Amino acid sequence: MTVGARPCVPDERRDDVDAEVQFHLEARIADLVADGLAAEDARARALREFGDVDDARRYMRGVDRRVQAAGRRERYVDDFRRDLAYAVRRLRAAPAFAVTAVLTMALGIGANTAIFSIVNGVLLRPLPFHDPDRLFAVYSSNRTGGLLQASVSAVDLDDWRAERQSVEDIGGYLYGEGSTGVDLSGRGDPRRLSAVFVSPGFFSTLGVVPQAGRLPREDEMVRGGHDTVVMLTAGFWTREFGASPSVVGSTITLNGVPYHVLGVLPEHFRFPTGDADVFVPYSTIPDSGIPRIRPVRVLSVIARAKPGVTEEGVVAEMMGITGRLAARYPEDRAWDAATVVPLADVITGPVRAGLLVLAGAVGLVLLIASVNVAVLQLARAMGRGREIAVRLALGARRGRLVRQLLTESLVVSLLGGAIGLGVAKLGIAGLLALSAGQLPRAADVVLDTTVVSFALGVSLASGVLFGMVPALRASQGNAQMVLHDTRRSVAGPGNQRVRAVLVVAEVAVAMALVVGAGLMSRSFMALLDVDTGFRPDHLLAVQFTIDADRHGAAWPAPATASAPRPLGSPFSLYYEQVINEIRTLPGVVSAAAVKDPPFRGNGERNGFTLPGRPVPAGEDPPTATVIHISDGYFATIGAKMVGGREFTAHDRSDSPPVVVVNEAFARQFFPGDRAVGKALLLGRNVPVEIIGVVNDIRQVAMAEPARPTMYLSNLQNSRVKTTIVARTSGDPLAMANAVRQKIWAIDPNQAITSVFTFDDAVSRALARPRLLTVLLGAFGLVGLALGVVGIYGMLAALVNERRREIGVRLALGARPSQVLMMVVRRGLALATGGVVIGLAAALALSRFLVSVLFGIRPLDPLTFVSMAAVLLAAAAIASWLPARRAAALDPVETLRND
Amino acid sequence: MDLLQGTLDVLVLRALARGPRHGYAVSRWVRERTGGALQIEDAPLYKALRRLEEAGCVSASWGASEHNRRARYYRLTVKGRQRLRAKESAWRRYAAAVFDVLSS
Repeated sequence: MTVGARPCVPDERRDDVDAEVQFHLEARIADLVADGLAAEDARARALREFGDVDDARRYMRGVDRRVQAAGRRERYVDDFRRDLAYAVRRLRAAPAFAVTAVLTMALGIGANTAIFSIVNGVLLRPLPFHDPDRLFAVYSSNRTGGLLQASVSAVDLDDWRAERQSVEDIGGYLYGEGSTGVDLSGRGDPRRLSAVFVSPGFFSTLGVVPQAGRLPREDEMVRGGHDTVVMLTAGFWTREFGASPSVVGSTITLNGVPYHVLGVLPEHFRFPTGDADVFVPYSTIPDSGIPRIRPVRVLSVIARAKPGVTEEGVVAEMMGITGRLAARYPEDRAWDAATVVPLADVITGPVRAGLLVLAGAVGLVLLIASVNVAVLQLARAMGRGREIAVRLALGARRGRLVRQLLTESLVVSLLGGAIGLGVAKLGIAGLLALSAGQLPRAADVVLDTTVVSFALGVSLASGVLFGMVPALRASQGNAQMVLHDTRRSVAGPGNQRVRAVLVVAEVAVAMALVVGAGLMSRSFMALLDVDTGFRPDHLLAVQFTIDADRHGAAWPAPATASAPRPLGSPFSLYYEQVINEIRTLPGVVSAAAVKDPPFRGNGERNGFTLPGRPVPAGEDPPTATVIHISDGYFATIGAKMVGGREFTAHDRSDSPPVVVVNEAFARQFFPGDRAVGKALLLGRNVPVEIIGVVNDIRQVAMAEPARPTMYLSNLQNSRVKTTIVARTSGDPLAMANAVRQKIWAIDPNQAITSVFTFDDAVSRALARPRLLTVLLGAFGLVGLALGVVGIYGMLAALVNERRREIGVRLALGARPSQVLMMVVRRGLALATGGVVIGLAAALALSRFLVSVLFGIRPLDPLTFVSMAAVLLAAAAIASWLPARRAAALDPVETLRND
Repeated sequence: MDLLQGTLDVLVLRALARGPRHGYAVSRWVRERTGGALQIEDAPLYKALRRLEEAGCVSASWGASEHNRRARYYRLTVKGRQRLRAKESAWRRYAAAVFDVLSS
């Protein structure tokens, strides 16, 4: 057939109009001459009768152009409609192929859409504040101490706020999950509300607009002002007050004091948490709770740059201010810098790497799915080779055929996409459930138009991707050959080679995925194997905060004020009473108390000195984490004393002050020496004896080794924040009510903050890596399955196509086992090619996993080798099935059927 | 005598009512039927043919003329036939009304 021999369209059109006019004039002249006119006169008259020839030509050409364009459009739509009907007919004629292909695509597109909706909600969508890219988190930095992202002192923040220039607004907040709260009373059972304590500038920096009432004025958020005001979150307003507008302006009792309800925050406002009930001025925290002095750094700080001010501008300004403060105040001497981070990075930082890894992995799954469908289509092309050859021979244009075959692919991928949206909807729900509240901005994860457009785009792209190769291959058939030999098809050796390449590619991508999944699982197992330093089973935790007014004032300040002795801790009575009562409960094996349970609080941080090792002038003393515990705490949680003893009921405020340190502390400060019996100088150089060394207990996160830690007795250094830990003989949660009742029997007004099990705390600490492991594992399995199916399909088709050849071999005396091995070898050759390429790709890609892996190296050889073995084994099984069928062929039968 | 608006279209459609003709044949038919009473130039006639083609009232294709020359033949479509009937009866009513007024 000839292609491209048609004349250019514009020339043809000019010829058409000219020819028509020419024909008219010549015919008229001929008629006039026949009537007896002279040729010259006839010509002149014909032209005169015609009128404006050029104008007519122009007009005619314009119309021709439009008519032709409309015709092309119509043909195109007609063709498309025909192609669509044809595609649907072809798919219905091959339901097995159609269902397999559509479901494969649904899986691939659905998984991608689900992951994309999370990436979109968490990473891509701007924070729900106006001009969110002008928002930054600001930290105090102590460069000599290596503390770059420390919390900020409320006193420093006041100075930052006063001296700011290129920063439009700056504010701070104090929030800890399960640890910052206020007691609500006067409305049924006393309850602990989750509270965020905010400083002036917090709301204005974010640009929050309340949905009811008003925000606190600046003078309502400072000491001495009328600061007993409260903002309700939308959730709490609805839960507690049924969203009644009359609450605004009324008064509720928090911590026993009437607070004025100023307003309600908007529904979408979830910063810094979606779990808060109320926002209260930071100024309401008394000095007895958190002293308002420079060295006490507890606030998180957010700042908004003025329009046009860059991140560098904010950094420069904050460095300037902190430098001046460090020069002015000795307490700030070492804190002469600030760290500035875009707020979006702070919020999504912990999950960014994991999400990007997932997005990459799920993209690979789609790639395998697409290639798989392409291979299926190529195999099908065999069946239609004759039909296509006939059409080519009859003069069908190749472009039309490609379009027709592509239409079929697009129908498959769009159907897959439609079902994929359903898959995505289920997937999103499952993912959010699996993420167990450890995913920031989870509320922003929705199936919106962006996500649906993404699914549509991915469907179209993958349809073209997996449709192009088969369409181009199929339309390249040699008409002569096919018509000549009806047995052969255009899906001949060339087709097989293309399919082989695709299968190898598929196996290679599957290999990379499986290695990723393997690395992640090994990392997760390493995480599970982490020795937390305690036994989390059968441990119940009940958190509450002691009301110092009713049970006696707390110890005035952290260790800075830990002198002079004796140090009465009036509410230690209450404290001991509660623990002792709970210890009497049947079903409770032992009980103790701690201020910061593992994974639920980082503890405090205090400086100390060692006798005989004075701190050089100009340097800060060493610091360590401080955790306040009761007697019997280590025994209760199942930690081991490495040396010495833990606190007993005899370590009280009137006995010598003592401390237990962990192994990390002993290693760092008493290397090669016994720590037990040594003394530390705490606070104003009060000597405190180390009575024991306990094994390291993971505190902050599963993947983070224990920091050097000092454990102080809560009878010698009390804290109002308390968690009762009880080891139970049965299900710990079943004891929760009995424990609560014991507490209420002593103080009926004691609000309970939360009740949880240590198993749950550990499980939540593992939620993110578990989610990542489960998903990568699932993607790896899907990749493996699709890759293996690809090999199987390829070999099954091969055996089918070469029946005659195999029959001849068998007839000539080849043993069935030889035929079997021939097919298996072919499958393993394909798989080996894929595995080798895939391993190389995995080597290159594994560095992206560095930030999400724990305990193993990204080039972990064991993972690479074992995953390659798994893939090859699966490939062997996939090859064996068609091989067995080949070996079982009856040579007589195959030859006769020919 | 000048042509009233739209008259040319109806004349062209009528010229094609008996079967396909090329442009010159349409021109000759109109000239003969009007006996020269209407001064019709060929340029607007061809423009009318194209206009009717774009409107879907006539279709065109190339064929051989009576002297075996390549000529572009126009033929009425179904839509063109309907248009002719409608215009024809409108014209008859119009002409009758004007005639009535003038002869009263």
